[in-house]
Amino acid sequence: MSSSSFTRRCNTMMKVPSSFKKEFLKKWIVGLQVCGSLNKNMSVSERKKAIKLSADIAMASARNGSTCWSRALIANASKQDANKLVVEHVLGDDESRKLTKQLPVGTSMALARKIRVIRSKKNILKRRSGPMRRAARKSNSSLSSSCIAKRLVRKRSQVLKSLVPGGEFMDETSLIEETLDYILSLRAQVDVMLKLANATELVTNQK
Amino acid sequence: MNRGGLLPQMLHCTDMTVLERQRARLKWQQDQLQPDQQQQESRFSDFNGLFSMPAQATQVQNFQGGVLAAHDPALADVVTRSVKPDPALLTGWTDLGKTVELRAGMEFLGPCAYSNYSGLEMNYSISRTSSCPPAVAAAVAMEAVEAKPKGSILSEKVSATTGRDSFKKRKVDKMLNAKIAAEDEGKEKKMKACAEEGDSKVTEQSNKKEKCGDTCKENSKACEGQKPDYIHVRARRGQATDSHSLAERVRREKISERMKYLQDLVPGCNRITGKAGMLDEIINYVQSLQRQVEFLSMKLAAVNPRLDFNIDNLFAKEACTSNFSTLGYVDFNPCGVEMGMNPGADMGLRRTISAPVETFLDSSCFTQIPSTWDVELQNVYNNITFDHQISFPPQPFTGSIEGSNLKIGI
Repeated sequence: MSSSSFTRRCNTMMKVPSSFKKEFLKKWIVGLQVCGSLNKNMSVSERKKAIKLSADIAMASARNGSTCWSRALIANASKQDANKLVVEHVLGDDESRKLTKQLPVGTSMALARKIRVIRSKKNILKRRSGPMRRAARKSNSSLSSSCIAKRLVRKRSQVLKSLVPGGEFMDETSLIEETLDYILSLRAQVDVMLKLANATELVTNQK
Repeated sequence: MNRGGLLPQMLHCTDMTVLERQRARLKWQQDQLQPDQQQQESRFSDFNGLFSMPAQATQVQNFQGGVLAAHDPALADVVTRSVKPDPALLTGWTDLGKTVELRAGMEFLGPCAYSNYSGLEMNYSISRTSSCPPAVAAAVAMEAVEAKPKGSILSEKVSATTGRDSFKKRKVDKMLNAKIAAEDEGKEKKMKACAEEGDSKVTEQSNKKEKCGDTCKENSKACEGQKPDYIHVRARRGQATDSHSLAERVRREKISERMKYLQDLVPGCNRITGKAGMLDEIINYVQSLQRQVEFLSMKLAAVNPRLDFNIDNLFAKEACTSNFSTLGYVDFNPCGVEMGMNPGADMGLRRTISAPVETFLDSSCFTQIPSTWDVELQNVYNNITFDHQISFPPQPFTGSIEGSNLKIGI
């Protein structure tokens, strides 16, 4: 992953192209129709979930699997059987098969488990050396500021990893790249949804 | 990125990032690969003119930082910008003849290169050597053979100065000097090749240079692009030189570069400089966007009793035009849309859409509407109808294409 490709991607994606929004809208409508056909009478919360789900999947698939977060989002969605149908229809059968092959549910779960195990081990070690560290910290006050800063950064990157789909498996640099992309796509998604909401609101008001 | 514009900035700021330097080097290499003889000649002629200028002290001060900043032709560009060459001098130089000019240019490249690589100590030697360029050039003109021995003298000077440096730096300098020598040889040969206008030779020399770069093991990171290119990292003055810290530094610079992009994206991040604060803002922004999505989906669910957000419905209701102008990319152009798949549905759609849409077409609110979008949307609907065998109500539609009417064959 070179920096030149990253800058290229940034320059193209800086202003979210309308093609992305179009793609997203198209796929979203497909997803909505599929959802609507499955369940005739849905409560508000069910509808909301369906809307959000199809929106998320549409956003992720509009990226065409070029980013990690999009693949992770789709994989997470297809873990639940109820959503699989939506995913398939939105993506198109070929793509969904490809993506599900690349990131099969089993391996992602195994990875997550491994990471959890490693992290728990690290936590145990940290707790053991806790008292020793505290003593060291008290003695070197000059060190503590950088330690504190590092800890803060680490905490925050943990939070960010939890926010970005599939973030737990990334290192810092790729995490920031993925966040960039994710922010842009989220923005486009919000844009489209907002416009649609306004339009429907006006329509219903005019009734 | 304008190379000429970037380099003066790089030279003047003492803490250049490693990546910027590397990019400058890559660009210079790319430049070298194009045997643009004219370009190089003009560069060298400017260079010669410049070194005879009295205002060299300021230029010497510019070579601060002791860092592998620009390469020599790039330096020439910088110097040309800071000091405009005297055309009279240039003509004087051109009289000496092409090859001599090139050699003289190469000669002056020598001290400049060394000055770059060895830091402030070399500034004195630069002023010494550059203060008498006319004499040197004349000597070169008369005896072209002297070019090489002079180069060797300069290399001795370099080694002497490096002896004064700290032990840590010496290691790096030695490796770089080896590289310098190799590069200089390559440059020399390259110039001759240019003078002779041998395309094949140029590529050979450029390959040589790449090989030299490959054999130099300073900090070999993963290859970039097709060339086996190593990221050459140079330790800055007064910093650790072991490979671990160098790798750390490169990684940190990558991260900070990406953080800069994020600063542009996330609103209100211009004031914040630290990594932790930036991450905080990013987290807040992502959370707010996600919450917005939730809220909007809730709103859409509440507004509509069924999941049918059909755009034609919205248009059919003759909703507010100002809103649709922002919607912008959604438009229906009934005329000239070929819908071949499902004629019944098509006609139904077309007929029903044409009436209300004409009113919109009259209004001037549709400013930026890509005309292809409507065709695509139509095709999307057609594909859906075709695949799922939905029968559209043939009558002119009053309501939306309700979800209840859809009969999907799954």
